[in-house]
Amino acid sequence: MENLINGFKHNKAFRFTTCLVLLLILIAIAAPVISPYDPLEAVMRNANMEPSLQHLCGTDKLGRDVLSRILYGASYSLTSVLLLVAIIFVVGTTLGVLAGYYGGLIDTVIMRIADMMISFPGIILAIAIAGVMGGSLVNAMIALTVVTWTKYARLARSMVLKIKRRDFVEAAIVNGGTSPHILWTHIVPNILPLMVITAAADIGAMMMELAGLSFLGFGSQPPAPEWGLMLSEGRQQIQTAPWLMIFPGLAIFITVVIFNLWGDALRDVLDPRQDN
Amino acid sequence: MKTWKKGAAAAMVALMALALAGCGGGSKTASVSNDKLKVGVTNFADTLEPTDNYFGWQVMRYGVGECLTKFDEKMNTKPWIAESWKVSDDKLTWTFKIRDIKFSNGNKVTADAVKQSIERTFKKAARAKAMFQYESITANGQELTIKTKKPMATLPGVLGDPLFIIVDVSEDGKRDFGKQGPVCTGPYVVKAFSKAKTELTANEHYWDGKVPFKTAEIDTIDDPNTRAMALQKGEIDVAVNIASGDMALFKDKDKFNVSTISSIRDVIARMNQRKEKPLGDIRVRQALIRALDRETYCKTLLKGTFTAGGPLLPPSLDYGFDELQKMNPDKYNVESAKKLLEEAGWKDTDGDGYVDKNGKNLELDFVIYSGRAELPLFAEATQADAKKAGIKVNIKNVDYNVLDSIGVKGQYDLLISNVLTEQAGDPEVFLNMYWKTNVNGSNPQNGSGYSNPEYDALSDKLAMEFDPAKRRELIIAMEKIILKDAATIVFGYPQTNMVSKKGVANAKIQPCDYYWLTKDFAPAK
Repeated sequence: MENLINGFKHNKAFRFTTCLVLLLILIAIAAPVISPYDPLEAVMRNANMEPSLQHLCGTDKLGRDVLSRILYGASYSLTSVLLLVAIIFVVGTTLGVLAGYYGGLIDTVIMRIADMMISFPGIILAIAIAGVMGGSLVNAMIALTVVTWTKYARLARSMVLKIKRRDFVEAAIVNGGTSPHILWTHIVPNILPLMVITAAADIGAMMMELAGLSFLGFGSQPPAPEWGLMLSEGRQQIQTAPWLMIFPGLAIFITVVIFNLWGDALRDVLDPRQDN
Repeated sequence: MKTWKKGAAAAMVALMALALAGCGGGSKTASVSNDKLKVGVTNFADTLEPTDNYFGWQVMRYGVGECLTKFDEKMNTKPWIAESWKVSDDKLTWTFKIRDIKFSNGNKVTADAVKQSIERTFKKAARAKAMFQYESITANGQELTIKTKKPMATLPGVLGDPLFIIVDVSEDGKRDFGKQGPVCTGPYVVKAFSKAKTELTANEHYWDGKVPFKTAEIDTIDDPNTRAMALQKGEIDVAVNIASGDMALFKDKDKFNVSTISSIRDVIARMNQRKEKPLGDIRVRQALIRALDRETYCKTLLKGTFTAGGPLLPPSLDYGFDELQKMNPDKYNVESAKKLLEEAGWKDTDGDGYVDKNGKNLELDFVIYSGRAELPLFAEATQADAKKAGIKVNIKNVDYNVLDSIGVKGQYDLLISNVLTEQAGDPEVFLNMYWKTNVNGSNPQNGSGYSNPEYDALSDKLAMEFDPAKRRELIIAMEKIILKDAATIVFGYPQTNMVSKKGVANAKIQPCDYYWLTKDFAPAK
């Protein structure tokens, strides 16, 4: 926490990107207030209207206001992505720490499962899983969790293996510390910064993958104002109504860039190896 | 080091610019040689076995298979492999005169060959029995005699269904009809088949003139936008069914021929009205239909490529469309929809915007597939409009191949279909298919539980009626019942189209969509 506050004070890039992230979150929260229209209200007589003063980003195939849908989509996409990253982070880190600390059978089982998952191309496996379970946002999140947790598990495990042999851990063991205590007070705090950085850097990638699944029809279902889904819907009119793709595409692009920059800046602030 | 990086960056930019330029591409010339015709289509067929599923449609659409009869622009039954036919006075015995022609392998098409082909269809396809049942088939030279169990006014038309494509049965077994294509009498012969691509060559033994193209390639491009782009780029010469949103791209009359026609198709949503389902209540059905602004869907959302729906049969057929549309009780009226729901006991008690009863929201599962561009649009428009009346519609997008079984098992509240209303130059089959009472699987296609004895009685009468004027009356009476019972949502009646490069002549779409690639397609002079 101290690092973060220090970083905010002294690291310009971190300060700037954090402000952008906060701005994004603010937009997401304030969507109902700042949206000019109801994102689901279909005024079909006004379908496929070009961007104009009434509809800054035009209207879609059912006459819904694209700008309102993008703003609502921000809360929809951000919530689901942050939740997704949180779940992956917790699941992956926990399993990795357990595998690394206890070793033996637990390690073998967890890591072999992880190896199995890694042996498939990630997004394709996610498509398969989401496809089998049927398209919905929850299923898409489950699918992405299943294919992504391994990265965190492997990272956490390797760090635990390194820390486990450090003197202070051995000292704690000699002093009769219980496993949960050692894990909680000595090991987890030491691997946390790197894990958080990884998670932060992953937000952008996860957003793309979630939007990708929605684009393919395996994620959010209509009429949800989800960016990937909006892209997919606009695709049918790419030549005659390009604004249906341009604006959601821009929204995804800007958000992903902001989160990636923020993730980089966060690494600079948190990673102890870059102290100087 | 720095200059190296700069150089590399510059090179990358140049590369990307090149890549972008590659995307532009130049459109190829409009002329098409007679060596190869390329057609972009949608294809649901996994094999080319005409008796499998509805795969025969593709065999016919690709110009490979032909039937005894075919349908003209007005859906009249016309001679094809059969030169002429007559029916006996007791209306049970039909005699067809078979044309003296050859299969693509050079074998003669005799009455006996036709007989074997029809028998093969009955052996392999359960669906055949639902279309007609025969007492006996006999062959004598070029004369084929079919005796039916019941009088069948529409038999020549039924034999025009692609299920009854005439194949050379002597080749069956020697050749895998499914994978290599059947041996038929059409202008083209299958050289290689996969679901993605069918390669055809001209049939040397074709009976009706020289085949204009030496070879033809049918590309499966199921996505309508991709199909439009392929035609735009010149990758294909002809595209079947360009989506409404893309029609504007082919306005240039110097480059493209656009052939449009009001089809004899319907886009409908079957409503599952079994007792335990919410749509079992006629008031809910009426409310749903009245909540839908079909006029706007067709005019605005689909840019006028559809006519707004009402009665079962489209205005392109002569079955009193205007009269039926006038008596249609369920026109767009959101207020009356809300009132009907209230009468049926559905009220929004928890303030979530959806009406509920016994603590459960009125939720309907709308099963759709997205192979045709307009279907998801109708479904989403329904979802948006139903919401205004307080009905929650959940869209379930499924693969086309599971649609049929979902329909038969009744695992839906609403089920979208784009169906042909005249199966044999006559709507009888269509009218029976989804609405005639299903008693223990007697009419499996009716999975909706709809049953009206009055309707069944008319249907039975229709089966025995040979007089066209009386048939028309019966059919209109049946349509009235469906309207009164609010048994089905008819969204609209599509126009279909075929767009071709200027270099291809006679690429015309026909109202009956058994026919796409025909012998008439030729290089333009």
